[in-house]
Amino acid sequence: MEQTITEQNIQIDEALENIQKLVENIETVIRGKRMQIQFILTALLAKGHILMEDNPGTGKTVMAKTLAQSISGRSNEGGVIFKRIQFTPDLLPMDLIGSHIFDDVKKEFIFKKGPLFCNVLLADEINRASPKVQSALLECMAEQQITMGESTYPLEKMFFTIATQNPVEMEGTYPLPAAQLDRFFIKIIFGYVDEETELDIYNNYLGIADNLAHIHQVLSMEEILFLQDETEKVHIHQEIVKAVRNIIWDTRRHQDIVLGASTRSGITFLKCLKAFALVNGRTFVTEDDLQKLTPAVLDHRLVYRNKDAKAKLLTSILNKEMDRLSKLKLN
Amino acid sequence: MRWRGTEGEVKMQIGRFHSWKKVTAQILLLALPTIALAFYLLYNVNHYYALLQNKWFEQGMYFATGIVTAIIFYSYRFRFVTTALLLFGIYFIVYKLLGSISVGEFDAFFVSVKFLIFTLLFSAGWLAGYGFSRSKYFTIIWSVFLLAMQIIVVSKTPEISANALIAAFAPVLVYSFYIIYTAELIRNMNEDEMGFGWFITKRLAGFLGLALVVLFSLLLIFQKDFKTIEHDWGGTSGGKDKGGRESMTKQNRDGSLSNKDQMKLTSSLSKDKRLVFVAKLDNFFPDGKTPNPLYFTSTYYTKFDTTTQTFEEDKSVPYNDLFSPDPSRIPLYFVKTDSNAIRNTMATLNRKIVSADVYKVVLSPNEFIAPSTAFFCQPIPVEGEYKNQFKSAYRAKMWVSDLNSAYFIYNPAGNKSLESFQQQRFEQLRNSNSYQRMDKKFMDYYTFMPRNEEYNRIKELAQNLARSARTPVDKMIAIRDFFTSKDEFGQPLFRYSDNPGIPGLPSASKLNYFLFENRKGYCAYYAGATLFMLRALGIPSRIAAGFLTVDRSSKNPGWYWFYADQAHAWVQLYFPGYGWIDFDTTVPDVNTQQSPQPDGTPPMNTQQALLVANGEAVSVDTTTKRATMKVTKLLYHDEEIPTALPKDLFMDVSIAAITKDTGAGKLSDVKPGTSIVAVSYAEVLKNIEANEMDSVGSVINKIPRPTPIDEIKIMETEEQKKDREKLQAKTAQPFDWVKALWITLSVILGFILLVFASPWLIWQYLNAKAKSNKNPGANAYNIYNASMYYLNQLSFIRDNQSPQQFAEGVDKHFGSNFNKFTNVYQKVKYSTTPLSANEQTLVHEFYEPFKHQVKDKVPFKTRFSKFLNIYNTLHYFTKLKLN
Repeated sequence: MEQTITEQNIQIDEALENIQKLVENIETVIRGKRMQIQFILTALLAKGHILMEDNPGTGKTVMAKTLAQSISGRSNEGGVIFKRIQFTPDLLPMDLIGSHIFDDVKKEFIFKKGPLFCNVLLADEINRASPKVQSALLECMAEQQITMGESTYPLEKMFFTIATQNPVEMEGTYPLPAAQLDRFFIKIIFGYVDEETELDIYNNYLGIADNLAHIHQVLSMEEILFLQDETEKVHIHQEIVKAVRNIIWDTRRHQDIVLGASTRSGITFLKCLKAFALVNGRTFVTEDDLQKLTPAVLDHRLVYRNKDAKAKLLTSILNKEMDRLSKLKLN
Repeated sequence: MRWRGTEGEVKMQIGRFHSWKKVTAQILLLALPTIALAFYLLYNVNHYYALLQNKWFEQGMYFATGIVTAIIFYSYRFRFVTTALLLFGIYFIVYKLLGSISVGEFDAFFVSVKFLIFTLLFSAGWLAGYGFSRSKYFTIIWSVFLLAMQIIVVSKTPEISANALIAAFAPVLVYSFYIIYTAELIRNMNEDEMGFGWFITKRLAGFLGLALVVLFSLLLIFQKDFKTIEHDWGGTSGGKDKGGRESMTKQNRDGSLSNKDQMKLTSSLSKDKRLVFVAKLDNFFPDGKTPNPLYFTSTYYTKFDTTTQTFEEDKSVPYNDLFSPDPSRIPLYFVKTDSNAIRNTMATLNRKIVSADVYKVVLSPNEFIAPSTAFFCQPIPVEGEYKNQFKSAYRAKMWVSDLNSAYFIYNPAGNKSLESFQQQRFEQLRNSNSYQRMDKKFMDYYTFMPRNEEYNRIKELAQNLARSARTPVDKMIAIRDFFTSKDEFGQPLFRYSDNPGIPGLPSASKLNYFLFENRKGYCAYYAGATLFMLRALGIPSRIAAGFLTVDRSSKNPGWYWFYADQAHAWVQLYFPGYGWIDFDTTVPDVNTQQSPQPDGTPPMNTQQALLVANGEAVSVDTTTKRATMKVTKLLYHDEEIPTALPKDLFMDVSIAAITKDTGAGKLSDVKPGTSIVAVSYAEVLKNIEANEMDSVGSVINKIPRPTPIDEIKIMETEEQKKDREKLQAKTAQPFDWVKALWITLSVILGFILLVFASPWLIWQYLNAKAKSNKNPGANAYNIYNASMYYLNQLSFIRDNQSPQQFAEGVDKHFGSNFNKFTNVYQKVKYSTTPLSANEQTLVHEFYEPFKHQVKDKVPFKTRFSKFLNIYNTLHYFTKLKLN
């Protein structure tokens, strides 16, 4: 028994180290975005999906590509299949899922798998596709399987979607409904890098592609699956669980929030907290995790009465709990 | 990392400045109390200014409209200057319109006055509303303004009593504290936070509760002092004493009079006409039948407090010849003497022993008053028929100079014998003209006077007056002649006045004002001025306080009646060999003719006490009128019988008169254990002689049982006396303004110091806790708390950052290791896994270097000033938003 525990510990330590390596690895390409990288990995470890929102050209796609490459290696040699779909208004669900094609030789319909059958999917500009396509993708994300006619095709065991979207206000977009946004564990706003990093990027813009080419696999799929299992074992203090509960409740009670967070969001929140702890190399959740993660997990699930007050509202709700936690003396 | 004050820039766009929540809070919590106060103030002001026509409610409504409108108005982004100009424009137009509409001049006048009042009040309300809505420091200015207003109102108050002052200032003060606190609270509240209203209500309730408790307790504590102040100021309490003011005697709570231990120079003197005591003074001129009255001294004032301009008693006076026994403590007929008093008079020439019987009416039983210099006190009973009039009596004996007399400035005109007496005694006193051989300490003490410009002026005057005088007594006469001299119009230069007034400047010397400008005053002024003139001339002198003796009775020579308005002060001069001699320089009161106060029948004492027994009552039977006492001291036929053993005396008290110090008593007042004196005048005892061999026991065995007793005096027990003295002290102790001011100042100073030191004290506590070695877990907690407090105090405030983000910022700034430590701290807090050895050493080695790193980066001056900032500390504990 003792033996296994130590063995496992070593494995965890190794895996945690590898995650740090992964973060650093990605950082060589995407600079000054450590937090965003951590969020993406959090979503990955929590067996969820991530939505990235920002203006075009902020490095969303490169980010997704780098991540896929760091897991799979350059030409999918690690067995991790990376697919990318550019969403356009004329995209059809079939283009995602695949379709039945009549095989002339076998004289039967065979299922031609679409790009969804992969490990890491980059759904670029998801809000440019029609709602029909969107809902098809999101259903797959939730169910982890595709049903075509009478037969059901399971997706890969590790299926991770990185969706990007342009800000809703931009032309030619179909905003995602709240219920579908709920499927994404985390929504991050990519944002611009700071001035210095930007200058750095300009000076080395040739190097970006180069760096991307040199990205090699640092984390195997097995390790990721292992870490996904480990996520469940991360210690979370009862007070933090309470804090999550309070935050969720406060969003429902707040008069300037039309739609508060659901119970499912709460569970997602807890999963993300645990995963985020792992990403940060810890096996326990801290108030720090709560503070950093709350906007990323909850913001896109809430419907505000007044859009201007958005950021302030959640912060004030969060601050109340953070105050409570920082005053607590536990143990 | 955010240094305070860097954010919060106002975005200029038209729209709401404050949310409706803040506006509601401002109206309810700031405007409403202000309106209430405005009503209260206007109500008061209307009493004093006829122009306002007593329409306080209407005026209050003007103000209320102004303030509420302004708060709502300025919750939008309007500029003050433009709106104010607009407002004045509207005023102007309305004013012009009013002028054209109203008919007749009279009408126009009233309408315009009304409009002016409206304009003023509405503008005041408007300004207040703007201030509450926008200005940060407005509440302070506003409070000061209100206080100033209140001072103006109070100056109109006809009677300044403590209650009136409290009624005037307490509401404004409470309001000021409230409004400053609340405005700050509302400004600092983030209205998006949940429970905004609840939070404010809680804080306000707490604040108001505290304010009320403090005010109430202050009132309770200082209630007595307020009464005293009121008394001093001549307040409203009771009509017994006429307008308080300064009095030469002090009134005890039981209505009796005592001497005061100080005498203040005030603007007016209070007097009343009550009979204080009656005395029989056995002092006659050499002809043996003309009474020579002597002033009755109760105390000497030898010191002068220049700041309060008060003459004071001094217990540590050299050669103290003041004999002040408590007659109520001496059993009837028993004697208390003090031979030191005689020795300390340092008088051997022309001295004799004189006795005086003093019958007290309202004079306090504890008080001993007699001509100078008394050395003997023997309480005597009051004859039965006078018991209702006189509470108690004693016989005093004095070491009196032949040369002393009440006659000096008061000389019955045309009395040849008196004039020759004066000449004789002056002649004799001229013999003593040198203080060469006097003790230096004595001379220094009794010729001391303050040295400054004002007293130098007195000195100059004295030297000028006494140019030609060679001897002390001549100098004294020169000073007297100065006071009685006439000016160029033949009018008296100095006049007597009970209400001399005081100089315009509060701190100006009242004596100088009296001597050089006003030349009106009562005895304290004359005595004080004389004292300093004498001292300036190097003549040892002091002020004696007591009673002026007026010989009004030709029926009963030697009997004098003393009324309360005879309380007096005069000077005493020391003549080597002759001792202290009284000289009164207070000019007679010519304006008010002294109403002849009647002399009554003197309480003659004819009976001779044959037996006086002092001791404790053992048993009292009120039905059979029998009592037993344990005799410890016995006087028999005027001889004191030596006491071997206490002996019980069985007494027949059926005809005994029971007396107490405070008046007549009942037999039931005699309780077993009470100290009593029993006196018998019974004829049966006349024939039973006691011889030298007798002791208390044998005398008691000789006399009949039960012994008929005529008089029983109940002595006060020690506790009763203390209680009474406490009671007296409470009312009579003069309120020492300087002391009160010092105490208040030091309390305030202490409080301010505590407030300013509190951030540092809290830091010391947290630092000590962080340094104490406990298990690593608790240690990490304490160190984290201390570090966070330290950083917070230096304006490194976490605010919305996560602990880690904050720590990273700190590390970036200080090059410290705070982030790693924060991680360990969070592990201790949220994880169940114990700390590794590495982490434990990190905990141990983090704190001291970290403090040094911070100290190196923040200069001492900055640290010092930041640590004085209580707001940072408040922020640390309350997380209130501070901008």
